[in-house]
Amino acid sequence: MKVSYYPGCSLEHSARDYQESISAVAALLNIDLTEIPDWNCCGATAAHSIDAHLALTLAARNLIQAEALGQDVVVPCALCFNRLKVAEHTLVHQQSALPEMNYQGVIKIWDLLDYLTQPPLLDQIQAKIVRPLRGLRTVCYYGCVVARPPKITQRPDYENPTNMDTLVKRLGGNPYPWSYKTDCCGAGFTISRPDIIDTLVQKLYDRALEAGAECIVVSCQMCQANLDIPQERISRQTGKSYYLPVLYFTELIGLALGHPEVTTWLNRHFVDPLPLLQRRGLL
Amino acid sequence: MATEEKASIGAVLVVGGGIAGLQAALDTANAGFKVYLVEKDISLGGIMAKLDKTFPTNDCSTCMISPKLIEVGMHPDIEVITQADVESLTGEPGNFSVTLTQAPRYIDLAKCTACGDCAKVCPVEMPSTFDEGLGTRRAAYRHFPQTIPAQFAIKKLDRPPCVTTCPATLKVQGYVQLIKVGKYEEAVKLIMEELPLPGVIGRVCPHPCESACRRREMDEAIAICDLKRFAADQVDLAKLPIPKVPRKRKKVAIIGSGPAGLSCAYHLARRGYPCTIFEALPVAGGMLRVGIPDHRLPKDILEKEIAYIQRWGVQIKTNMALGRDLTLDSLVKDGYKAIFLGLGCHAGTSLGIPGEEAEGVLEGVDFLRRQALGQPVRLGKKVLVVGGGYVALDVARTARRLGSEVVILYRRSRQEMPAAPEEILETEREGIRIEFLAAPQEVVLKDDAVAGLRCLRMALGEADASGRRRPIPIPGSEFTIAGDLVVAAVGQKPILDCLEGTGIQLTRWGTIDADPITYMTSRSGVFAAGDVQVGPWIAIGAVAGGREAAESIDRYLQGRDLAAGRGVSTAAQAMQGWVDIPLTEEKQPREPMPLLPVDQCLATFAEVRQGYSEEQARREAERCLNCAICSECLQCVQACKPGAVDHSQQAKKLVLQVGAVILAPGYRPFEARRKVEYGYGRYANVITALEFERLLSATGPTQGHVQRPADGRKPKKIAWIQCVGSRDKAAGRDYCSSVCCMYATKQAIIAREHDAEVEPTIFFIDMRAHGKGFDRYYERAEASGVRYVRSMVSRVAEKPQSKNLEISYVDANGKIQQEEFDLVVLSVGLDAHPEAVALGRRLGLETNPWNFAASRPFAEVATSRPGVFTCGVYQAPKDIPETVAQALAAAASASALLADSRGTLLTSKTYPPERDVSLEEPRVGVFVCHCGINIAGVVDVPAVTDYVKTLPHVVYADHLTFTCATDSLEKIRQVVQEHHLNRVVVAACSPRTHEPLFQENLRQVGLNKYLFEMANIRDQDSWVHQAEPDKATALAKDLIQMAVGRALNLEPFQETKFQVVPRGLVVGGGLAGLTAALTLAEAGYESTVVEKEAELGGLARRPHLTRDGRSVSAYLAEILSKVQQHPRIQVLTSARVIEFRGHLGKFVSVVQTGAGQRLEVSHGATILAPGAVEYRPVEYLYGQAPQVLTHLELEERLAGGQSLPTGSTVVMIQCVGSREPDFPYCSRVCCTNSVMDAIRLKEQDPTVKVIILYRDIRTFGFNELAYQKARSLGVRFIRFERLAKPEVTPVGRRLQVRVFDQNLHTPVVIPADYLILAAAFRPSPGLAEIARIYKLPADMDGFFLEAHVKLRPLDFSSNGFFLAGLAHAPKFTEEVIAQGQGAAARALGILAQETMEVSGAVAYVNTGDCVRCLNCLRVCPYGAPQFDPDVARVSIDPAACQGCGICCATCPALAIDIKHSRDRQFQGMLQAIS
Repeated sequence: MKVSYYPGCSLEHSARDYQESISAVAALLNIDLTEIPDWNCCGATAAHSIDAHLALTLAARNLIQAEALGQDVVVPCALCFNRLKVAEHTLVHQQSALPEMNYQGVIKIWDLLDYLTQPPLLDQIQAKIVRPLRGLRTVCYYGCVVARPPKITQRPDYENPTNMDTLVKRLGGNPYPWSYKTDCCGAGFTISRPDIIDTLVQKLYDRALEAGAECIVVSCQMCQANLDIPQERISRQTGKSYYLPVLYFTELIGLALGHPEVTTWLNRHFVDPLPLLQRRGLL
Repeated sequence: MATEEKASIGAVLVVGGGIAGLQAALDTANAGFKVYLVEKDISLGGIMAKLDKTFPTNDCSTCMISPKLIEVGMHPDIEVITQADVESLTGEPGNFSVTLTQAPRYIDLAKCTACGDCAKVCPVEMPSTFDEGLGTRRAAYRHFPQTIPAQFAIKKLDRPPCVTTCPATLKVQGYVQLIKVGKYEEAVKLIMEELPLPGVIGRVCPHPCESACRRREMDEAIAICDLKRFAADQVDLAKLPIPKVPRKRKKVAIIGSGPAGLSCAYHLARRGYPCTIFEALPVAGGMLRVGIPDHRLPKDILEKEIAYIQRWGVQIKTNMALGRDLTLDSLVKDGYKAIFLGLGCHAGTSLGIPGEEAEGVLEGVDFLRRQALGQPVRLGKKVLVVGGGYVALDVARTARRLGSEVVILYRRSRQEMPAAPEEILETEREGIRIEFLAAPQEVVLKDDAVAGLRCLRMALGEADASGRRRPIPIPGSEFTIAGDLVVAAVGQKPILDCLEGTGIQLTRWGTIDADPITYMTSRSGVFAAGDVQVGPWIAIGAVAGGREAAESIDRYLQGRDLAAGRGVSTAAQAMQGWVDIPLTEEKQPREPMPLLPVDQCLATFAEVRQGYSEEQARREAERCLNCAICSECLQCVQACKPGAVDHSQQAKKLVLQVGAVILAPGYRPFEARRKVEYGYGRYANVITALEFERLLSATGPTQGHVQRPADGRKPKKIAWIQCVGSRDKAAGRDYCSSVCCMYATKQAIIAREHDAEVEPTIFFIDMRAHGKGFDRYYERAEASGVRYVRSMVSRVAEKPQSKNLEISYVDANGKIQQEEFDLVVLSVGLDAHPEAVALGRRLGLETNPWNFAASRPFAEVATSRPGVFTCGVYQAPKDIPETVAQALAAAASASALLADSRGTLLTSKTYPPERDVSLEEPRVGVFVCHCGINIAGVVDVPAVTDYVKTLPHVVYADHLTFTCATDSLEKIRQVVQEHHLNRVVVAACSPRTHEPLFQENLRQVGLNKYLFEMANIRDQDSWVHQAEPDKATALAKDLIQMAVGRALNLEPFQETKFQVVPRGLVVGGGLAGLTAALTLAEAGYESTVVEKEAELGGLARRPHLTRDGRSVSAYLAEILSKVQQHPRIQVLTSARVIEFRGHLGKFVSVVQTGAGQRLEVSHGATILAPGAVEYRPVEYLYGQAPQVLTHLELEERLAGGQSLPTGSTVVMIQCVGSREPDFPYCSRVCCTNSVMDAIRLKEQDPTVKVIILYRDIRTFGFNELAYQKARSLGVRFIRFERLAKPEVTPVGRRLQVRVFDQNLHTPVVIPADYLILAAAFRPSPGLAEIARIYKLPADMDGFFLEAHVKLRPLDFSSNGFFLAGLAHAPKFTEEVIAQGQGAAARALGILAQETMEVSGAVAYVNTGDCVRCLNCLRVCPYGAPQFDPDVARVSIDPAACQGCGICCATCPALAIDIKHSRDRQFQGMLQAIS
C-alpha cells in the first residue's frame, strides 16, 4: 500500500519517538510512506496567528507538492493536519483566496489515526498481534484539533471520536469511557502560561485516574509532550505523585505487534512507561 | 366564486389525533359537520397524553385529555380512522377527494373488548414508544388505558430476514420467542404448521436463516437451528394429539419417503387426503435416513417424526420402487387421483479424472448408504475425500470412526465450503485434515490399486454465479497426496430411468421439469419437488417443495386454479423495514453447543452435538432482536376469546369526500442525540424532558417515582438545560420552541412535589414566560426553591464511578463554576415531524425554512392551499391553550367555508326509551375505580368493594382499573341490564369532569341520567390522604356509603327542550370582535356587534405593523368593509350593554345606543371582546420630555413616513409597566415589537444607533429570527434587573440613560436622542363593567378569566359566553384574529343546534308553602324566579335556572327545593353514615 506522508517539523525533533514508531508500524503493515518532496512548514502556531495569507500559502504549497505525487497524503501531527485541511477547504471552496495556487483537490488528506483505523487495516493489525495488550487500562485522548472544526475535518463524531478506542480494544487493551477525550490540554500555552497548562493538564490526569486508567493514549505529539513533560512538576507542586505514562497509539501497535524497537521509543518519554508495561507483562 | 354554484360537502377531514386535532374535530362536528379524524398512530392523544402535569395550573394532563378523548370517541358525527396516512388530496375547496392508506391493526376493532389477553401472552417485549423507550411493551399493545380507541393493536413490520430466507418460510422469530418464554410445545406446534420434521431439520439444516440474521451486525447470529432442535427435544411427539379432520376420498400416491415426500404426505394428510408413500429402500426417510450418519442425526429422531406423520394416517410401503414394483399407470389404475414424485438425488457424480474407474475409488452417497443400511463398506488406511459439502464431511467422519486416517481435499478455501463453519470445525476436531485449494487431477495407481491423488494447487479468482470465488489452477503447482481409498463427494444427481416413457419431461440437467410455483410436471396430476426437481439442495428446501406440491394437489383435486395468488414475493409487502437495533443492546456471544468429547466421538456413532440446556436455550432465544416486532407466534390468536386477532389483515386504501381539511399533525421533540456535547444516549443519566414527563407520570414506567436510569436511585440534584435544539443555528433550529422554559419550570416544581429533597436547577438564556399567568408561575417556582442559573451550558461530562454529571457554567458574578448533578434533563425543542413534513409535501403546502406550515397573512390557520387549514405546533411551536385556540379557529374557518352544507351529513343519535323505575325497589350497582394507581395505590379497592356489597339495596359491586375506559362503560351497561339496576353509583374521580360521561352511558341502556351518583374517592380521598392508606380506605367506604344513601333517594327527571336563538352578540368592535362577527356571518348566522366608541376598530385603528411587516390599518379597512356590507351583521356603535337576562341559547341583552335608544337583542351565544389599551407610563420622563415615546407612538410616527435624524441614538426600555409587583404579567408582544422597530430603524438608516434595555428577551417562536437579525444589524442589547432599573435624566436637548449592565457587570451611561418605552397592555376600562353585567369573572390582572387556562381558553365557565382578543391577555394581531375565529367556533356549537335541552336539576317552588316574600327574586343572579301578580304566584324559569341553590337557602318558608339536590337526598347521605 502506497501513500504520501507529510511528517511535519516536530516529528523530526521533539517527537522522534512518534516518528520512529510510525515508520516501524508502517513497515509492519506493508505501508509504503512516501515523504512529500521538499515539504515546508504547515503554518501552524506562528504563521496562522500572524498572517492568514502566509499561513494559507505555506499549507497550500505542501498540498500542491503532495498532489503532484498523485496519492493520498497521511499526516501524523494534529496541527499540520488541521492546517492542511483548512487550506484544502479554502482552495476548493474559495478559489479566489489564492488564485496563483492551482490545487485540484483530488487527493485525500488523512489524519494518521483515521488512516490506520480503516477497517481493512484494523483487520490486518489484529491478524498480526503477537502480544495482546491484555489488562492495559487506558483512556484515549484525542485532543482538541484533530477532529475540529467539523466543517473543516468533515467528521460527524467531533465531540466523541471513537476510532482510537476501537483500535486499543482490537489490540487487546481496555479503553475506558471518559468525557474528556477532546478537551484542550493547553499545548499552545506551554511556554507562555505554564500556570494554565498545570490547571488543564492536572484536571486531565485526575479525570483519567477517576475513569480507571493507568496510562493515556494519544495521537498528537503536542498533547503527548504537554501531558508527559509537566507531570513531574505538577506532582511536585501538588504533592500528588502522578504516574500516568502518555503513549502514542503507534507505540501501542508496535508493542502488540512485537516490534523489537519499542523500548527505544518508550525510553524517550519523560514519564517512564516501562515499569507499567513490565507490570502488565507486556515487556 | 365559480365554485359557489356547486354545493359543498358537509364533511371535514381532520388529520392528527393530538389535542389540536381533537379540539378541531369536536368543534367542527358540533358546528354541524361530519368529521373524519385521521391519526397515524394506533390511538388518539398525541404528545399531550404523554405529559404528566401541565403549566401553569399543574393539572394532570391525562385527566384533562381523557374526557376529550371520550367525547370524541362517543361523538356520533366523528369517525376516528387510526393508523392512516393521507396519500393525496384532489379537488377544490368545498369539494375535495382524499385518499388514505390505512395500515393493518391485526385486531378487529369491532370484536376487541380491550381485555388485554393478547398482550399478556405476547412473548415479544419492545421499548415502549409511549414511554419514550423507558419502559417496555408487547407487540400486542395499547398506549394507555384511557385511550381512544381503547382496543389493542399488533405492531408488525416486514417479515424478518430469517423467515424470508428460510426456503420453507418457517416462523422463526415466532418459535424463538416461544422458546424464550418456555413455551416449548407451542414452539414445536408453530414449527409443525410448516415442517413435520423439527428434530431432524433442527440437526441437519445448514440454516441459511442464520446467515441473514441481523444480530450478525453486532455480534453473532442467533443459533436458530439449535433452538429448533432444543424445542423438538422437549416435546414427545407420540403424546401430541392428532386433531380430527374430515376425511377426503381422493387418494394420493407419493413416491419417495425423503423430506419432500414426507412433507407432501403430511400436508395432504392434514387436509384429510388418504396418502400412501412408496419407498424403494427397505427403510423410510430417504436421504435423511441413508445419507446422514448417526453421529449427526440419530435414527430414532427420524423414526419418531416419521411415526408422527404416520399417525395422521399416512401409509408407508417400503421396498416398493417406481419402475420395478409399480408404474405411474399402475398407480392411476389403482385409483390414485394424484401422484407426487419425491425421488431425490441418490446417484453420486464422478470426479471425471483419469484413474477413477479403479476399485479403490467410491462415490460418497454410495458409501454412506451402504453404511446406513448395514451393508459392508470398503475401508482404507488413508482415505482421501474429495469435496467440501456435507456429504464430504459425513464420509470423512464416518471413515474416521471406522478407523481410517482421513484427508479432505477441497478446491476452494474454508470460506467457500458449503458446509456450516461449526461442522467444519467439528470435523477438524476429530483429527481430519482439510487440504484447501487442492483439485485432483488424476488417481495415482500402483499395481492397479489406489496409491493417492495427483492434485493441482488453486488460487481464487472472481466470484462465480453462486457468489463464491472461482478456483483457478496455478500452473506447475502439482503435488501428490498419498492414500489408498478415494471417495468422491462432489455432487449428486437423480436416477430417473424409471420415468422413461411416462410422459414426464426432464430438464437439461437431468432433473424433472416441474412448474416452479405449482410443481406440476408435464403430465397432468403428477407433481414433483425436492432434489429430483431442483437438483441436490438442502432438506428444508425439499420440505418446502413438498408442502407447496401438497397445496397444488389439494387445488388440483378440487378443480381449482393451481397458481392463483401464489408466487407473490413476501418482500413486496408493506416495505416498512425492520426494527432498528436498539443502541442500548449489549453484545452477547452465541451460546456454545456442548459437544461429545473427541475420544468418545471416534469410538462410536453417538450424536456429537449434545443440544442446549434449557437455560442455554432461553438465554440464546433472549438474544433475538425481534426484527419484525410481531413474531407471528399466534399465541394471541389462541388467547383472544372474542376472536378479534386477524394476522391476515392487509393495508387498505380509503377514499373520502370532504369539503375542507384541517391539518394538525403535530411535532416531535428535537433529537437530543444531535447535541453530542450533552452526551444523550452516551450518559445514562442524561434524559430528555419528554422522558422526564414519563418518569413523573403515575402511568409511566416507574409509576411516577423519579429514578435515575443508570441505577434506579432517587436523584437529588437535577439540572435542566434549556434550548436544546432551540435558538441554535448550529443545530439548524434558529427558532425558539416557545414552551420549554415553562415546561422545565413545571417539571422542576412537580419533581419537588414528588420529593421535597430534590434540588432543581434550570440553566437558561432568557426566561420566556410570555403566556397568561406564566410570570406568576415562574416567580412561584423561584420562591419554592427552583434555582435558575442564567448561563448556557456548553457540555456535560460524566463522572465515571458515580455516573453523576458535571456541568460547568458561568455564575451571576461571571465566575466559572463546576457542579455535579444526579440527573440532567435536556429541554428539547419542538421539531417539525418528518411525517408531517412529508404530508405537507404530498399536499403541496408551502412551508417555512424549518418545515413548519406557512400561514397566510392575517390568517394563522390558513395554509397556502385554499380549503386546507392548520392548527397547533405544525403551524409554529406553541403551547396548549394557543393550540386549542387555533384548533377552534380552524374549525370556524372550515365551518364558514362550508356554510351551505352544514348539517347535511349528520347522524342523529337515538336512545332507547327510558325505563319507568318509579314503582321499583331501589337496586343499586356500585363501581369502584382504581384510576390506575391513583386510587388503588392508596385505597384498598377490593376491600372497599367487598364492604359496599354489604350495604342495603346494593345488588352489585365491582372494581375496575379505569371505570371511564370504553370497555368499562360497556361492562356497566351489561351489568345494568343483567342485574336490572335502577341506580348506579361510580366511586372514582370528580363528577365535574366525568359525570356527563357516565350519565350518557346510562341513557344508552334506557336509564334516566338522574339515577346516577358519584363518590369522589380520588380528588377528595386518595390524593389528599396518600400517607394514610388505612384512613383513606375507611373514608372511601364512608364516601361511597353516602353516595349510595343519596342514590336511594334519586328521582328521574325529564329535560325540556327550547328553541335556540340563531344570533350571536359580540361586545367589542375591535379586530377580535369583528372577526368573530364576520365568521359567524359567513357561517350563516346573524350577529350584533356592540361597540362603545363611535368607530369600529379598537386598537387596530392606531397605525402599526404586524410582526411580518404588514399594515394592520389596511387589513382593518378590508374587514370593516366586509362587516359593513354583510347583511347578517348589525353594528351598534357608541353603544353599550346595560342589562342582561336569559340563559344559554336564549339570552336577551339590553343595549343603549348612541342615540339613547334602548334596544333589546336576543341571542343564543355571547362573545365578549372588549380589548385592551396601551399603558400610559408614569416612569422614565414619559409625558415630560418629548423624546420619550411609547412603541405605538413610535410606530405611528414611522407609519406616517417620519424617520429619525441621521445618527440618532435610540434607547428602548422593555417591561415598562409589565412584570412589576402590581402588574406581574408579561405583555408578550413588546420584545418582538421593539426588535422589529429596531430593525426598521436600522434598515431605514444604518447610522441610527439602537440600544434595547431588557430583562429577558422574549422573542418566542419564529420571532426569535427577528432578534437574531436585529443583533446582526448592530442593535445592542443590555440586560438589567428589575431592582436596578435604568435611570433617565434630561441633559440639554438629549437624555442620559444610566443602566447597570448585568452581563458585563458594569454600569453604562448612554446619551440618547429618543427613548422608546415598551409600555404594557392593560385591560380595557370597560371590561369590568361588562364582567359585572354578565356576572363573569376577571383574573387578578383584570383580564377575563377563562373556564380553563389550558383546554378552554376561549370559554367562560358560564355556559354560552366566550371571550377573544386582548381581553383575554396581551397578544399579537394574528393571535387576536385566530381567537376571534375560535370564539366564533365555540358560539357556532350553540347556534348550530336548533333546540336545546334544559337541565332537570333546577329549583322549583312548592306554592303551598310559599309566603310570597319575593326574597328569591332579589337574590337570584340569573333572574330565574318570576312573580305573576295576576295569580300571586312565584315560579322559576327552568331554562334560566342554573341550579345554584341561592334561592333555596334564602327562602324563609323552605318552600324552594332543587330537583336532584333535594333535602331528603342529603338526609339520605347523612343517615347512611350516622
